[in-house]
Amino acid sequence: MRRRLNRGAFAAPLLLVAAQSADAHIVASRLGDFYAGALHPLTDLQDIVLWTALGLLAGSLGAARGRGLVLVLPLGLLLGFNVGLSFGSTWIAPLTNAGMMVLLGVLLAAGLRINAAALLAIGLVLALMRGVVNAGGVGTATDRVLFGAGLALSGYAFITLITALALTFRGSDTAPSRAWRRIAIRACGSWIAAIGLMVGGFALAS
Amino acid sequence: MIVRRLALTALLCVAATLFAPQLRAHEASLGVIELREVRPGAFIGRWTMEPAIGASHVDLRVPAHCFLRMPQLICGDKGLVGPITITNLGANMSAVLLKVIPMTGASRSYTITTASPVVSILAAGAPTLQTWIELARTYVNYGIDHILLGADHLLFVLGLIWIVRAGWRLAKTITAFTIGHSLSLAAAAFGLIGIPERPLNACIALSIVFVGVEIVKQQRGAAGLTARYPWAVAGAFGLVHGIGFASALAGLGLERRLLPGALLFFNVGVEVGQLAFVLLVLALMWAHRRLNAVLPRWGDLLPAYAIGSVAMFWFIGRLIRVLGVT
Repeated sequence: MRRRLNRGAFAAPLLLVAAQSADAHIVASRLGDFYAGALHPLTDLQDIVLWTALGLLAGSLGAARGRGLVLVLPLGLLLGFNVGLSFGSTWIAPLTNAGMMVLLGVLLAAGLRINAAALLAIGLVLALMRGVVNAGGVGTATDRVLFGAGLALSGYAFITLITALALTFRGSDTAPSRAWRRIAIRACGSWIAAIGLMVGGFALAS
Repeated sequence: MIVRRLALTALLCVAATLFAPQLRAHEASLGVIELREVRPGAFIGRWTMEPAIGASHVDLRVPAHCFLRMPQLICGDKGLVGPITITNLGANMSAVLLKVIPMTGASRSYTITTASPVVSILAAGAPTLQTWIELARTYVNYGIDHILLGADHLLFVLGLIWIVRAGWRLAKTITAFTIGHSLSLAAAAFGLIGIPERPLNACIALSIVFVGVEIVKQQRGAAGLTARYPWAVAGAFGLVHGIGFASALAGLGLERRLLPGALLFFNVGVEVGQLAFVLLVLALMWAHRRLNAVLPRWGDLLPAYAIGSVAMFWFIGRLIRVLGVT
């Protein structure tokens, strides 16, 4: 019995992470395509995990290195969204998302102090990927401009808030009493890497 | 003499332009449908005046728990309660009068038009707890939807936040805006005041232009009216925005006896949506300060010009509609 419960507990988050994005048409019919675009990534656990990981990494590196993402993520999402509309969104393999999760998780867990250019490059690649994937949520009757604007604004608000929260939580480097906080962020990184490995395993198995 | 003639001609032209939409509306077809309750929860529908497109072409949608197969309408124990709409209203059928004749009590009439395509039918007799719950659920959600979809209202609130920034002054300013729009919303909903929708929308756009100008003044070091008396400006323009909210409420064809409740719940919904927006903006402002992600000096005026330009675009578009050019 306990074994079954353990299996269930293990499988449930995996299925949630591997699930496709939820249908945003309910939102669209109520509040229109702008809010459908804004909420579409927030109904997909892969977007939430990846954006959170990027925000944590940016926050842990400090304001000077992380603040560029406030612009890069929404612009990258918008660019990726347009690429997805033009060339389709199915060619982004699930393994790519899993690989990105592992990369961000390992960087966080290892506490590597990458420079701003490297962080922005990772952020841009991630934004392009997720922009392409989110273009899959556009229906035939969807207003693409409103959906894209909602998506970009959602990315901007999410990354700005998570980065600032992570930065505040981490505190200054010189305060020894706050060392546990940096350890907590690194622990989050190891969980994110583990989720990435599970998603990758699931993608290979299916 | 010539001047007088010219003035008269100009006056007639303006009147013709202003009243042209109403004149056209009278040419469109009207339908009247009667729903008579024959046993509890069961109605017989009959077109007492068939619209020009023919009764069979009218796409009448009834509440989800009801089943309609003309002439029968079965609603079961819940009765005929909820939204009724016609999806294919248009030039050939601009309005339908719906008469509900219950077994007991007075009959009630609702008008479904292209401007207000949904009417909410609530149970006859004294409102029950179920009626209030249904009313609260419908109108709180409707209020939230209305403010979240009202980009002009949100842009005005954003302008106020930009000028006042944070603290008690902001709390007082937002409260004044709330009091202002609640007062005029109530007055307009009860028919104490009435302003045509198109000029009102133009005024709302103009209020945002005003806020944009005030931000520019503030950035240049001059204390504008909003910077000195933010609560007064917010309260005054709140009155204008509130009449705009009321037009959305009036469009639902709600019964007068339930109007106070609907008004209260709608206002609660508007406040919930507004509060969520204010909190999101404040959180983002805090995050930007924390990350030191601020605009360079040359870009100080960008938000003000962005707000002002969008509002001016709306104002010109709405003014054109007031003048009936399009």
